[in-house]
Amino acid sequence: MKPGEIRPGVERDFELAVHRPEAAGADGLDELTAMAEEEIRFLVSQGRTPDAARAQVAARLGNPATAAAVMRSAQRRESRLKVHDWLDDLRHDAGYAFRTLVRSPALAATAILTLALAIGANTAIFSAVSAVMLRPLPFAEPSRLVMLWEENPDFHWVREDAAPANMFDWREQSGVFSGVAGYLSFSGTSTLTGRGEPRMLRAQTITGNFFEVLGVRPAAGTALTEADTWSDAPRRLMLSWRAWQNLFGGDRALIGQALELNGRAVAVAGVLPRGFEFPGIDADVWMPVRWDKEAASQVWFRRAHFVKVVGRLKPGLRFEAANAGLQTVVNRLKQQYPVTNVHMGAGMTPLHEFLVGKTRLPLLVMLGGVGLLLLIACANVANLLLVRAAGRERETAVRLALGAGRGRLFRQALAENAVLALVGGAAGVGLGAWGTRVLSALQPAGMLPVSGIRLSSAVLLYALGVTLLAAVIFGVAPTLWTARRVAADVLRDEGRTASATLRARRWGEALLVSQVALALALMLGAGLLVRSYLLLQRVEPGFDPRNVLAVELNLPGIRYDSTRKVLAFYEALEREARALPGVETAAVASGVPLGPPMWSSEFSIAGRPPMERGGEVLHREISAGYQRVMRVPLLRGRLFSDADEADGVRVVLINQALADRYFRNEDPIGRRISFDRVPDSTSYWRTIVGVVGSERQRGLAEPPRPEFIAPFGQDSRSGMTLLLRSAGDPAALAPALRAIIARLDPLLAISSIRTMESVRADSLARDRFLTVLMLCFAGVGLLLGVVGVYGVMAQLATRRMREMGIRIALGAKATQVQWLVVRHGALLTVIGIVTGATLALVGARVIRTLLYQVAPLDPVTFVAVPLLVLITAVLASWVPALRASRSDITMVLRAE
Amino acid sequence: MLLKGTLDALVLKALSFGPRHGFEITRWIEAGSQGEFPIEPAALLQALHRLEERRCVTAAWGTTENNRKARYYTLTPAGRAHLRSETASLKSSVAALTALLGAR
Repeated sequence: MKPGEIRPGVERDFELAVHRPEAAGADGLDELTAMAEEEIRFLVSQGRTPDAARAQVAARLGNPATAAAVMRSAQRRESRLKVHDWLDDLRHDAGYAFRTLVRSPALAATAILTLALAIGANTAIFSAVSAVMLRPLPFAEPSRLVMLWEENPDFHWVREDAAPANMFDWREQSGVFSGVAGYLSFSGTSTLTGRGEPRMLRAQTITGNFFEVLGVRPAAGTALTEADTWSDAPRRLMLSWRAWQNLFGGDRALIGQALELNGRAVAVAGVLPRGFEFPGIDADVWMPVRWDKEAASQVWFRRAHFVKVVGRLKPGLRFEAANAGLQTVVNRLKQQYPVTNVHMGAGMTPLHEFLVGKTRLPLLVMLGGVGLLLLIACANVANLLLVRAAGRERETAVRLALGAGRGRLFRQALAENAVLALVGGAAGVGLGAWGTRVLSALQPAGMLPVSGIRLSSAVLLYALGVTLLAAVIFGVAPTLWTARRVAADVLRDEGRTASATLRARRWGEALLVSQVALALALMLGAGLLVRSYLLLQRVEPGFDPRNVLAVELNLPGIRYDSTRKVLAFYEALEREARALPGVETAAVASGVPLGPPMWSSEFSIAGRPPMERGGEVLHREISAGYQRVMRVPLLRGRLFSDADEADGVRVVLINQALADRYFRNEDPIGRRISFDRVPDSTSYWRTIVGVVGSERQRGLAEPPRPEFIAPFGQDSRSGMTLLLRSAGDPAALAPALRAIIARLDPLLAISSIRTMESVRADSLARDRFLTVLMLCFAGVGLLLGVVGVYGVMAQLATRRMREMGIRIALGAKATQVQWLVVRHGALLTVIGIVTGATLALVGARVIRTLLYQVAPLDPVTFVAVPLLVLITAVLASWVPALRASRSDITMVLRAE
Repeated sequence: MLLKGTLDALVLKALSFGPRHGFEITRWIEAGSQGEFPIEPAALLQALHRLEERRCVTAAWGTTENNRKARYYTLTPAGRAHLRSETASLKSSVAALTALLGAR
């Protein structure tokens, strides 16, 4: 072989070059010897005697050190070249993979888009999971923080708010906490005046030591302290970072200055740090509770439960030990205060667990959903690659025959998968970044921490992991296919041997079954959620939310310091609102159903002994027209009238739920009730004048609770909601209402204006969010599944074209031939459906608690969804069957 | 005497006329320099290994005109580029050296 006849480097590609180091060294010595011989020949040709020439050359090369140096050098060259080769191969593989993908852009685009969708969805959902569940709370030593709650079997209370007096006793007497603080379970608003337009600020009320217990240091100024809890301290507040920046431009001079809030001067003690965020609370100002020290000894301080309590365990104290310490105090309090604490239990939960508890399951369900989606996508891409690998088996065989190593082919297949996965993954992360923003924007308020959902390093790591996992999953089948092919078979044109066809079919069938199973499981999960959501939607709330506008107001106590002033304001407001064109009727109420939680208390019925186990009732105050506005039916007795004034007989309405539970066999009209469990001479009695329909107060999924409704004229409150029933779109009334309120009191800011329809919709926000997301995932899953079924069936149909052609030539009808393929597809789909349904049964148990009146084995869902999948799959296999049966038989036979 | 760092350039130059084996390279340099630059075979082989490693040359066993085994070296495009840049830098070095040593 003449040098130059083989292109440089080809020997190495075909592994003809020397590879082992010893061989390389020997090769080097051979070359040295060959050179010496050449030189001897040259010297002889110059006229030297052979002996002399040999002696001359030996003198130069005889040194053993020379030979050793050449050997070492040759070995070093070989090992370094190996590294170079490896890198070159990698570059070649990647380049080859890239070119292959570019040559079939449709395939590459489909695969990358599929992967990007799945990886993007995974990235976005994981960013939420990471923000909610994995990131520790932004407080000092968060693992020592616990939520303390009360429970009471009498009221069906589980993890409820605590009474302040109990909170103080736990702190003083248990000895297991280094600090205990509280915050009110409802956030309020506060009107800022004296700085341009009046502004409504979101206010969260806390005990003075709240930030101390959390271990949060102010970014500027000083923190509130324990002393701020009580009303004898000067009025101070803390600003959130955002409020400080947005409302006051980050003005440092503001610290120590007074703001006018609800007409009172309140000094700014300090500003919270930028990263401070308490899950579920979005406040501009944090204000102390300012409890009266005198009041602390009164019975209401132990009876009213409205504080969420955060405790910090003493260092090194274990959770169980701390809980035992708490229980000792709880039992002592039961004995000590039988009137309020007789069945009042308490317990603790790690703070993080308590705060994210309700969000965890929906998030995990979403993560499971996108996980399934990813698997379906992988199956799809695997199928695409498998089809192509089968189509390229000639090329593969030629390369094998030319000496390309099997390992090299394997690597090349891997490189293709890696390039696909990485491009898909990169596109997926881009989609995911967009998805996190969508997720933040669409999430129901308070479900996810707003600032936390982002592509953190943990999320990127997860995305990379998911991408690599995807590459492995979708790469296994086509790669094994490529590497296992027997070159000789293919080249001898026996590529379509029975065994090869069978193997290709097996892979395709397995992919089809798993795709159907995964898509079905995903759709069944989504189907259950949709069923549950539709049922929830159809729940009668007990009032008519259509065409009702709700305007929430809160009169500042400093200017409205008497019942008369409060009543006068709301009476004027109601009168003026009713006079607006388009308003049918108007009323005020201290709360709206499905809105923020209403107050509740115990009660007793005159003439009956105190209840063995107390009872809880919600209570509200309304003006006379409330039931007309909300279209709540009157069932017995009468509604309120304007005659039910402060100096009249104390009257009350009860809802049907209360009448059913406590007046089952008697007429409640005329009976008297009190808000004391054990009434005494100071108790305040009210006479029941009517029974009204029950409204669902706390959510559509929860049955109505017993409720008392008192006339606003006899029991006024400064915070009320104006309700308007309009003839047309209620939202259109908002500007006119703002004008009325501004005229009545220019310093009053409106807390909120919402339609009752949106109040109702918001109460379902979490369910809707989860359902819509899962429905999206299921839709994409079905789409990918259909594409997958089509792909596999098209492949199988093509492989059976010859058989179909012969059958048709022998007189079979086209429909009979098509049926062969469709039956095959349907059979595989049924196997997939059975597998998927089994999978879904396990999953349905997990989401059971998220479902409303839908059994995990809901027959409607478990019949409708598989049927839909089956029909879709049959259609997807019928199309390729149709195409295959119509192809020209002679062409097919000749091609084979 | 061969200047340090010039052997690689000379080897590449020798190969720029076509594939050659080790002794042909030696001969070309020794003859061209009128024996001024004697080439040690070991040094030459090490230089060739170095160049092969850098992908400046590729090597393959072949047979000479006299039907004997020899390892032939071929210049690669990378080697050609390397030769060009080496030649330029060596020429300017030599010019500078000449100017300096010729200074009076």
